Amino acid sequence: MPVVDVDPDELRRLAGAEDVSDETLIDDLFALGLEFEGWTEDGALELEFAPDRLDRLSVEGIARSLRYQYGHDRGMHIPRTNRSNWTFVVDQRVPAQRPYVTGAIVRDVDLTEESLQSLITLQEKLHETMGRGRHKGAIGIHDLGMLKGRGATESAERTSITYTGIEPEAERFVPLEADAEMTPGEVLTDHPTGREYAEVVAEYELMPAIYDDLGLFSFPPVINSRRTEVTTDSRNLLVELTGTDQWTIDRMLAIVCYALDLRGAEIEDVEVAYPEYDIVRPDWEQTTKQVEHARIERTIGIELDRETVLELMACAGLDAQPIDENGLAYEVGIPPYRVDVLHPVDIVDDIGRAYGFNELEPRYPDVATVGSRHANSRFERAVRSLLTGVGFEDLLNFNLISHTANFERMHVAPDDKVHGAGTPVTIEEPYSAEYEIVRTWALPSVMLVLENNTHRAYPQALAEIGMAGVVDRDEPTKTAERRTVAGVIADHEASYEDGKARLAAVCRRLGVPLETPACEHPSFITGRSAAIDFGMGAVGVIGEIDPAVLVEHGLEVPVVAFEFPLAAIRSAAADQ
Amino acid sequence: MKVEPGQATVLEALGARQEPISLESLAEQLEMKPETVTGIVFTLEEDGLATVDERKTEGLCLTDEGSQYESQGLPELRLLEAAIGAGADDEPVSLGGIVGQLGDDIDVDIALSNLARKEYGAVSAGELRVSVVNPADEEADALAEIAAETSPGVEESVIDRLEHRNLVERRSRTDRYVTLTETGRNVVADGLEVTETVDRVTPELLTSGDWEDVEFTAYNVAADPPRHIGGSEHPLRRMAEWVKDVLIGMGFEEMEGPHVDADFWINDCLFMPQDHPARTHWDRFELAEPARIEELPTDLVERVERAHREGVGEHGEGYHAPWEEDFARALALRGHTTSLSARHLAGEARGDLEPPQRFFSVEKAYRNDTIDATHLLEFFQIEGWVMAESLSVRDLMGTFTEFYEHFGITDIEFKPHYNPYTEPSFELFGVHPETDELMEIGNSGIFRPEMLEPLGVDCDVMAWGLALERLMMLVSGAEDIRDVHGTLVDLEYLRETEVVY
Repeated sequence: MPVVDVDPDELRRLAGAEDVSDETLIDDLFALGLEFEGWTEDGALELEFAPDRLDRLSVEGIARSLRYQYGHDRGMHIPRTNRSNWTFVVDQRVPAQRPYVTGAIVRDVDLTEESLQSLITLQEKLHETMGRGRHKGAIGIHDLGMLKGRGATESAERTSITYTGIEPEAERFVPLEADAEMTPGEVLTDHPTGREYAEVVAEYELMPAIYDDLGLFSFPPVINSRRTEVTTDSRNLLVELTGTDQWTIDRMLAIVCYALDLRGAEIEDVEVAYPEYDIVRPDWEQTTKQVEHARIERTIGIELDRETVLELMACAGLDAQPIDENGLAYEVGIPPYRVDVLHPVDIVDDIGRAYGFNELEPRYPDVATVGSRHANSRFERAVRSLLTGVGFEDLLNFNLISHTANFERMHVAPDDKVHGAGTPVTIEEPYSAEYEIVRTWALPSVMLVLENNTHRAYPQALAEIGMAGVVDRDEPTKTAERRTVAGVIADHEASYEDGKARLAAVCRRLGVPLETPACEHPSFITGRSAAIDFGMGAVGVIGEIDPAVLVEHGLEVPVVAFEFPLAAIRSAAADQ
Repeated sequence: MKVEPGQATVLEALGARQEPISLESLAEQLEMKPETVTGIVFTLEEDGLATVDERKTEGLCLTDEGSQYESQGLPELRLLEAAIGAGADDEPVSLGGIVGQLGDDIDVDIALSNLARKEYGAVSAGELRVSVVNPADEEADALAEIAAETSPGVEESVIDRLEHRNLVERRSRTDRYVTLTETGRNVVADGLEVTETVDRVTPELLTSGDWEDVEFTAYNVAADPPRHIGGSEHPLRRMAEWVKDVLIGMGFEEMEGPHVDADFWINDCLFMPQDHPARTHWDRFELAEPARIEELPTDLVERVERAHREGVGEHGEGYHAPWEEDFARALALRGHTTSLSARHLAGEARGDLEPPQRFFSVEKAYRNDTIDATHLLEFFQIEGWVMAESLSVRDLMGTFTEFYEHFGITDIEFKPHYNPYTEPSFELFGVHPETDELMEIGNSGIFRPEMLEPLGVDCDVMAWGLALERLMMLVSGAEDIRDVHGTLVDLEYLRETEVVY
């Protein structure tokens, strides 16, 4: 979840809440869904929040939300926007993977070290979240004073920059944090920022590039030129965004513009001239959604009158008009910085938050249903209680295991025709070699528990009922999953008979016959291993573990072990 | 006075002497087990017939290495002997040759360094020259004396050296000495009447009727018994069973379903955009094998795709994100058990469901990340949902308040939250009983129309999920349950942990 660091004094100032104590501020932020994680070394609040309200990625955005909460602001705010004479021309050669661009001109910014840092942080946070690591959208902010527009496109008053695509080595420019000219290709291999974002453009044939009359000044989404770097001396800015989706970059632009607007900057729109059509950005045309009054009451669970609902929506920064068609409803305007409103339910949630969900009185729903256990789970519990009753300590192991522990250390190969073999479900690029496949049987896990507990008192009688699975092309999910029952007895005197005696006791209590015809299995001593047959053919294995496997696991006592599928003993039980 | 036979034996033995005697010597004298004598003496003390006092003595004993040398000879002496046997008292002999003759149990380095220290001989240029024959070795003598427990004669400096060589240990021991009290002496003097007592209740005793006439030997019922290890349910499993019991009591029916499942059921049906960070290969448990599901309900896939692209309803809006059916078909280990809810709501698991319904599962989910103190790759997710014609946030809060009250958690906080598949959404917080820390204990909400409509559900469904391990921490007060689950579990933990109920 996103985390932002916010200077509490700056927040108080922007939110008009100078007299609010730290403690109250933290509570008020919690009510907005911003969780206080602690103080940073610089005395800033570290706030964590869910990634829906991305307009709160900056101190300005959080301040705006607080202003609504404190009643300083009401209804929807649209920044006053003037026309500029700038056009973003989109060239035919623009990379096919990154066809969209948007932007704005921002004038009269009064940047301090703090507000500049806040702007840069907002930019980075938007890259991480909505921008999906700059893949989906990336922001470039430039000092307008360092740019020279190109000549007129349509009329003499207009000036332009051009978004295009170039060969990686076709152009040289001085990127940020560098002293020498580099080509885009060199940036990707030699510049630290370039190396970090090289994977974003790895599949692009042409590199995205934005030109003014003086040359290339932006290599989105990787890096800007040093020429147009924004400093505290910058008064006017040019903001450009490129990406894979127009809606996404327009919303990212809106969040940036609203943050600058709160600090008193003037926004000017620009024309974006695509080869086929022109648009004007930022576009403050509001989206509206219709919400039914009954839906609000149904979801929040209380009765509300019309005035209250209108008041709550105003407090949430929404514009609402009642409409009476077939029953009461509202036409609700949604400000452009909101990226999370996909459906009227999102407005209901805003109303609930403004009302205060914690003000609601819980009630147990008046819904009658009958509870029950799944039959498989009932049977599993019965078998587990029989196993513990005959003295097994119940284990709960991971379903993931290493290939070595599952196969090699048990002397079993995946394509052997024995119990426990099979093609394993395999994790792609596992973080840890200890957990790289889904176990094909549970006995290896139980052996690991024995291995890790040789310093503990014997006898160790351990059993587990858990999941195992193998790749199976005939299953809908291509995996045959099963609950499996594995047990071991490790003790100085343990022998085959001890294992079979306990297994037989379990079988008797389930009314299941137990036959154990001799079989060979690489994990077990030949002559002391048998197939488990509940009267329906061989389904499992029982025997004394081969000394080679014992030594492999650092064990110095004999171990008798068994394993069989839970479903097998269940169908045998049902059959009796 | 009437006494039991054992007491009589001990009383008579003690009556015959004035000086206190150690319990050990007494047991030896009476040829009885020390623990039996101790038990009897304590009963006499309780009856005021004897007094027991403890005396601490400093003593010496041999370490394992010390005993070995005591019986086999000090390594330097054995080396010396071997060297003399090879003629080293005449002229230097090759060290290698002598070492070859010695047994494997001799550490040559130890032998040589002590030989040199005692100036019995010296090595130069690989040859050993000895300077004494049959030396009187005070260390060897001391070992023999300590072994024979006649050590008081041994000099302190020799003991220090042997201790330095880790051959002896100074050990303090406590002996109990018993002597009769005045009352005790009078009782013995007045003559003892011995009652016949019986140790075991036998079939003969019961069938013959003799049990009516016997007295049973009193046991030391306060003594510690040998340790018994029985079978018992795993603590986390027991917690899971408890949760199941509570939910069944609240009218919930249990779900089950595949661990390996298509992303379609794990994420797409939950209106999780395909470019959501949780769906990147870093967080997903992507499988190298098997890779793709074949069977997916075509109509449902279309409806889900449409919801992602266009949203649902007149005023709906989709995600501005790519959607590929191929990705939806990719198989993975489920990141949450909400995939089971999706399969049930879609009618895949149990056919179409009509409201009202309540369903739950307490099953494993997988988290592809590095393991640390509080995060494991596998955890148990408690998943539950309620379907009804009309459900509100208050119903959701009432359900959780009821659920957590069963576990003694009464101070839940609801924090408005965001999930792609619920709105409104709440994180649930509870206070840890030991640390007083506010902990997240669950995530909940009312399923979004974009999730329900494609699944064919046209009523309200509220749902929640939480980690069983978290709940267990709250209930048991444990702060770290890292090694509970998995093959690193300490059997001692399973054998000693208090049960929750």
